[in-house]
Amino acid sequence: MTNTWYLYVFFAAALVFAGLLGLLGKRNLIKLFIAIGVIGKGVSLLLLATGFAKANIMTAQALVITYIVIEVSLVATALALIINIYRHTRSLDVRDLAKLKG
Amino acid sequence: MILQTALLIGLVIFSVLAIVLKDLLKSAISLAGASLLLGIIFFRMNAPYAGVFEISVVAGLITVLFILTIALTKSGDEVRESKLVNWAFPLVFVAFLVIDALVMKGLLGKVPALASGPEAGTFGEVLWRGRTLDLVGQIAVILAGVFAVLALFRKRDKHD
Repeated sequence: MTNTWYLYVFFAAALVFAGLLGLLGKRNLIKLFIAIGVIGKGVSLLLLATGFAKANIMTAQALVITYIVIEVSLVATALALIINIYRHTRSLDVRDLAKLKG
Repeated sequence: MILQTALLIGLVIFSVLAIVLKDLLKSAISLAGASLLLGIIFFRMNAPYAGVFEISVVAGLITVLFILTIALTKSGDEVRESKLVNWAFPLVFVAFLVIDALVMKGLLGKVPALASGPEAGTFGEVLWRGRTLDLVGQIAVILAGVFAVLALFRKRDKHD
């Protein structure tokens, strides 16, 4: 069971790291949210893998479902914000946000 | 086990493609593909409810939201990304994978085992009785999201 857990945790860490690299390196606002989505996938894989390895899969499922609901709400709000930012700046470049004036 | 490993490798490849690809539409579709693979992995881990949510909500709804946003911000994909990041990303990621393979097993051995008994009952009982407050929180989060979107897209008053 530990070997299976190790495999899942290995890939979950890879997903979280890929998302973090995307967050640090990319400038497009939509790309940044895709990177956040990738980090979320890593976290939900980690949650479920740990529940699977520790014979608590149902609690892990409940937590993953809670996380998915939160993610939907987060993404809907964030994308609405991005559309509003685009209407103001005509750009999706995150650096343009620093140029905003009242 | 081999199939599960292949699915996990596919999940990482699709996720990395979603971040690396320049075309936003292809990125969003890659993210949906990653969600689909993650849902299949959940099914194979005896977690069908999480799998259904992952495929229907994340691969379906969130992808639609992303594509809608990309369509509404058409000229936004002209953002110039840093060239340094484009070639540094794969190098740093592969370096992390090597470190991950070397270190993770040792780290997992140090995680203390929490005392938890085996679960009893069905998933419905665990969700509705064990995690009731989570469900209340979910309702609050959905309402917060709805009101946030409404507030962000409200029409301007005459006084503004």
